[in-house]
Amino acid sequence: MANAATILFEALSPMNLLLALLGVLGGTVIGALPGLSATMAIAVLVPFTFVMDPASGLIMLGAIYTGAIYGGAFAAILVNTPGTPSAIATTFDGYPMARRGDGDLAVTLATIASVFGGLLGAILLITLAPRLATLALAFQSTEYFWLAILGLTLIATLSQGNLVKGLMGGMFGLFLSMIGVAVIGGDMRFTGGMPSMLGGIDIIAALIGLYCIPVLIGMVATPDQHLDPGEARGFRLFEAIGISVRNWFNLIRSSLIGTLVGILPGAGGSIASLIAYSEARRASKNTANFGKGEPGGLLATESANNATVGGGFIPTLVLGIPGTPPDAVIMGALMVQGIRVGPSLFQSGDGTVYVFMTGLVIATLLMLPVGLIIGRYAFRFITNVPKAMLVPLIAFMTVIGSFAIHANPHDVLVMVVLGLVGWAAGLAGFGASPIVLGLVLGQIAEQGFMRAWMIGGARGDFMGQLLLNRPISWAIVALIVLTMMLPLLRGRTARRLVAQDLARDRVAATTRVDRAGLAGSVVFLGLAVVMLMQARGLSPMAAAFPYAIGGTLAGLSVLQILRSLRGQGGINAEGAGADGTVRGLVLAATMLGWALVFPHLGLFVTSLAACIILMLTGQFGRLTARRLAVYLACLLAMVVGFYLTLDRVLNVPLPQALLF
Amino acid sequence: MIGTTTRRLIGAASLALMGTAGAALAYPDGPVTYIIPFNAGGESDVTARYQQARFRELTGHDMIVQYLPGAGGAQAWAGLNGISGDGQTIMGTNLPHIVLQPMLQDPGYTTEDITNVYMFHFTPDALMVANDSPFQTVQDVIDAANAMPGGVTAGGSATNSANHIANQVFMNETGVETTYIPYTGTGATETALVGGEVDMLWGYTTVAVRQGDATRVLAVATEERHPLFPDSPTFRELGIEMVGGAYRGIGVPQSTPEEVRTQLSDIIGQINQDPSFREQMENDGYALIDVPYAEMDAFMAERIEAYTAIAQQLQQ
Repeated sequence: MANAATILFEALSPMNLLLALLGVLGGTVIGALPGLSATMAIAVLVPFTFVMDPASGLIMLGAIYTGAIYGGAFAAILVNTPGTPSAIATTFDGYPMARRGDGDLAVTLATIASVFGGLLGAILLITLAPRLATLALAFQSTEYFWLAILGLTLIATLSQGNLVKGLMGGMFGLFLSMIGVAVIGGDMRFTGGMPSMLGGIDIIAALIGLYCIPVLIGMVATPDQHLDPGEARGFRLFEAIGISVRNWFNLIRSSLIGTLVGILPGAGGSIASLIAYSEARRASKNTANFGKGEPGGLLATESANNATVGGGFIPTLVLGIPGTPPDAVIMGALMVQGIRVGPSLFQSGDGTVYVFMTGLVIATLLMLPVGLIIGRYAFRFITNVPKAMLVPLIAFMTVIGSFAIHANPHDVLVMVVLGLVGWAAGLAGFGASPIVLGLVLGQIAEQGFMRAWMIGGARGDFMGQLLLNRPISWAIVALIVLTMMLPLLRGRTARRLVAQDLARDRVAATTRVDRAGLAGSVVFLGLAVVMLMQARGLSPMAAAFPYAIGGTLAGLSVLQILRSLRGQGGINAEGAGADGTVRGLVLAATMLGWALVFPHLGLFVTSLAACIILMLTGQFGRLTARRLAVYLACLLAMVVGFYLTLDRVLNVPLPQALLF
Repeated sequence: MIGTTTRRLIGAASLALMGTAGAALAYPDGPVTYIIPFNAGGESDVTARYQQARFRELTGHDMIVQYLPGAGGAQAWAGLNGISGDGQTIMGTNLPHIVLQPMLQDPGYTTEDITNVYMFHFTPDALMVANDSPFQTVQDVIDAANAMPGGVTAGGSATNSANHIANQVFMNETGVETTYIPYTGTGATETALVGGEVDMLWGYTTVAVRQGDATRVLAVATEERHPLFPDSPTFRELGIEMVGGAYRGIGVPQSTPEEVRTQLSDIIGQINQDPSFREQMENDGYALIDVPYAEMDAFMAERIEAYTAIAQQLQQ
């Protein structure tokens, strides 16, 4: 093996430092834009690395990757939309912090947590990779099933106002995850006969819609500023460091969870940060503050998701099995360069892999200055840009982002429709997060269970395969039980919560019937019936989950109908959606029209027209001619910029339309 | 901002002009966009990257690789004929995908909609076990499956896929019964095999190359032994009639003129003859084949016939 000094010297060469800096910068920006993913950025840059020294190329790709995972936090904190699926849980506490004027603190905390998590993950990659890789093999379908269930228990945590509604949202998310061709069984499920639905609902498109559209509708509902700018206080670095030091154990635990979950090829950053969040909440003394802007929750998710970067490289390099989609692209790039990952890589004595890992550490450290500066700029930008500009900007990003995933206009339509469904559900007290959890975890749960069923069936020992013979599953089930029992273990809190619930119910009961909740429950009951009817035509392997989910959803819907009639509505903490206003309806109609028209008329023309309508929708008060001219110029520049980026830089195939 | 559309319009106009003049078409006329219907990092992507450099050397024009993943490739193939047929945009095509998908469901295209110009390689089916498996030979697998019908589990990627077909053909040829366990993607099947969740795996020689010593290849579905696995017999040697795998080729929109199809086919054929390309491909475990445009109809007819019979069994 090449000696440590040589490796360090090579990794620290000016060229490699520059590439790492550029990578982190580019990755952070791409990660912050929902829909533009690390996978995409890496895939575009791969050809350029072929002409570079292998180590330099790798360092740049690794830097982009870690930067993008970090960048996802910006959109989560400032716009309530996870820039990457890894940042789903960051919205839970990040956005409430930004709402109350602590957006700058939240960004700084996310930066510190990301650097910490990234470093721990990278260090474990360098020191223990071959040993930790065995974990990827120890986790089989059964463990993935239980891991998904553990993630789903978060629904209970997130919907304390009304558990029944939260569970119904989760079931709806699980339903969404089943749309398309079933991996097991091969049946078409719930596609409504449309070929475009065969691929299922794209998770990223759903995330953008469910989180972003309600925010947009909320923005045009009132003339108030989107975020409280607070007073100018610099980076608030020392305050953030103080909070981080007090949360040292949380940071270490979350980073370890992130690294370990990152090693599992079927899991990824979204599950890592959800589990870290759940554990941080359970261990915290401020349990009740989680979901309302608790810095500990933010630290947990952001350290965990950046730790998955180092963790994900462990199976990629040691076993030749990519831990995450970006890892798969990087692995492909390695193969084209003639470096074969897998067991022989560490034995061959080739220093390249160590230079790369050192480069990853350097890139992670560079995130600190880069992140603080970008973060400060992004926060000031979002708070200072007038609403008339912010609304079209965010709306355009949702369209571009959902289109860019698969270069498919269908995803844009899915994004808008789900966004409107999410907004309506929010009005009725069904929060978006349970739906997202169901969607993200549904396939992992279903496939894990069905495979355990098939393998157990072949071996004649289903229970052994599912749980009894599997010690790792015992541990996960124990965690599930612990999470579920938490309120009971803390007797006093539980009694207080029950009292609160009763009091609320009593107040509600004297007021009126929860009409919105009632309507929502009736719709869900209808959906459950459709699910059960359609499941009858499926093969047994593909029908098991639809039966289970449909049955549960039907039961919960009936229960909620009764509760709503008795006035026990209950609004989720996050479910207090903005009421519909005329401006909100204009926005919804514009988005829908945008999604329907642009594949035929052309992305550029349609987007420019839609942005102008949205600018007027977001404008409160009188609009002077001069200001209008400035706005129009800005919109034109924005549309041109994004269009060129998509067409020329990211090489996304645009639809062949009438115009352009 | 004017973008590719205008470029394509100009290209189409000049094509029409030249066509009327009866002059020989200069192909390619500018950079060629090569759409891969899968995510970056997979075998379709890696082999496209190998072709990319040689394409430039041969024609002097760039080959730009774009990704259009979705619905197992169906999304891209459903849109193939909507692209202008000037040969400046070409698309990767995969077998058995483009035959099985329209046969078993309605993916928005039919097999006849896809105009294949060249099939340039395939990844041969390989029956693999983990290195600590008790199965040393295919006969061991057959004996175990005979002792407990359905008790031997065989992993593979997805339902109604090349791996699923391989398992069905194996069952047909040997008369044994195994339980096929579908996974999402090749990576997941590798963890399942090495981690011991399944007893054996239907994979490809490329997977076996990547896994090295962690796995053992019991047999390969090629006509002659694969150079990288000289100790693993072919199924044919064992008296099992199995030759095949997942084929990759290049397709163009239906509106593409015959002349351009032939020219593209010639270029891909020349790349396939490049010794350094062959070496790179074979070292990764790919098996090169040459099915040029002129022989495509016969090749596809033979493949469709083979897959149709198996697909009916998979449906039962």
